[in-house]
Amino acid sequence: MLMLAVIALGALAQMLLPPFPLFGSLKPPVLAAAVLHYALRRDNRDMWIAVFTAAVLQDGLEPGSFGPALLAFPAIGILANRIRNEIFSNGIVTQLFLGAAAGLFCALVTLLVYTVSGQRPFGFGLALERLLGSAVLGLFTLPAVTRLIIRIEALMPKRRDYGWQ
Amino acid sequence: MLRNKKIVYAAAVSFVLIAVFVPLPSLTLKGKGAVRGAMAPAERGASSIWKRLTETTAAIRGIGGAVEENRELRFELTRVQAELDGLRGVEADNLRLRRALEFQETSPHEMIPCDIVSRNISGWWSTVRLGKGLRDGIRKNRAVISPDGLVGRTMEATPFTTEVLLVSDPACRVSAKLARANVFGMIRGTGSSLRGEPQARMEFINKDAEIRVGDEVVTSGLSSGGGRFPKGVHIGYVEKVYKDDSGLFQYAEIVPRATVGLLDYVFVVSQAADDGGTR
Repeated sequence: MLMLAVIALGALAQMLLPPFPLFGSLKPPVLAAAVLHYALRRDNRDMWIAVFTAAVLQDGLEPGSFGPALLAFPAIGILANRIRNEIFSNGIVTQLFLGAAAGLFCALVTLLVYTVSGQRPFGFGLALERLLGSAVLGLFTLPAVTRLIIRIEALMPKRRDYGWQ
Repeated sequence: MLRNKKIVYAAAVSFVLIAVFVPLPSLTLKGKGAVRGAMAPAERGASSIWKRLTETTAAIRGIGGAVEENRELRFELTRVQAELDGLRGVEADNLRLRRALEFQETSPHEMIPCDIVSRNISGWWSTVRLGKGLRDGIRKNRAVISPDGLVGRTMEATPFTTEVLLVSDPACRVSAKLARANVFGMIRGTGSSLRGEPQARMEFINKDAEIRVGDEVVTSGLSSGGGRFPKGVHIGYVEKVYKDDSGLFQYAEIVPRATVGLLDYVFVVSQAADDGGTR
């Protein structure tokens, strides 16, 4: 439940944040970072819930057809879920690298979907600016989102366990 | 078991690919309508809280110099400043609303006033979302204007919300003319500058036409890519003029003023005066 609330809040935050003209007028990929966070820390079922909710929100609130997030988020989720035992997910360097990779991958998929389906005009300069920009934005977004989610979860009352039973 | 899993994965992937690349407009809009309808109240609340926060921050920043004086005085000053800022905000809101009301009353078009609920989620599109939709009579491909001029056109309308494609978006094309010289051209959005200012370009202007910096650009009333805009709506002023590489045309950079800073209220033209709309 908390995970769903966090993802919904993430969608609102992403909408309220201003676009960065220096990075192709893109916004920080808060939802992609939230998906990556949960894929690295939760089990398979939770990962799929996070992926599906975030993808539907991102694509539903975006003009055009459903698509970019519906393709990119599951790929990010599956990959992160697979490698989570082999990496140190709390390490800042890991987070910076994964954040940049996730941002770049999302932008690449979005660019492909929009170009192939003819929904957006393609311009090489802007495309390159957006690919690089999304990597930089992802770089900073994942560590910030991770810290925020961990802090929110720490604020929540702990669930009581049932002792030895 | 493994085979079943593979079949499920293959089915899921095919479903996603079909949803992405074979978009059925009615189905897509229904899905999006559900998501946007569910998120609209939260968006509205969040954007009003954000607005208040920005105003308060600006108020506190404005009196940064008083910090060193003394704590009590600072708190008092902060409170008074915030109050004053709030009052200024109310006054500005009042003026803006009055201007919008006068604009609606004097405009020859039939218009539906709408509030802006939120902006685009990813930055790939230059769009804003309005808090009214099909249920309020808004349809696709209608002009959206404000007292400052042309804002864009309605792109997707769901029962409760409408997506507006701004003039500065590269996918938005508007048939336009230079008011002084009566020369026609096509406006195409070019995104935003490094300072975040929306930009557009007027293309296919006759190479022999005399264009001056500061010339007013208005809608021509001719139909253009995906919609028809009412005639004579202000778009912006010419900032720079260039010769096309081919030498056959000129093009001019313009700043669509109505999309700068944007905007609490806009109007969707439900029927243009030159379409037989009556007021």
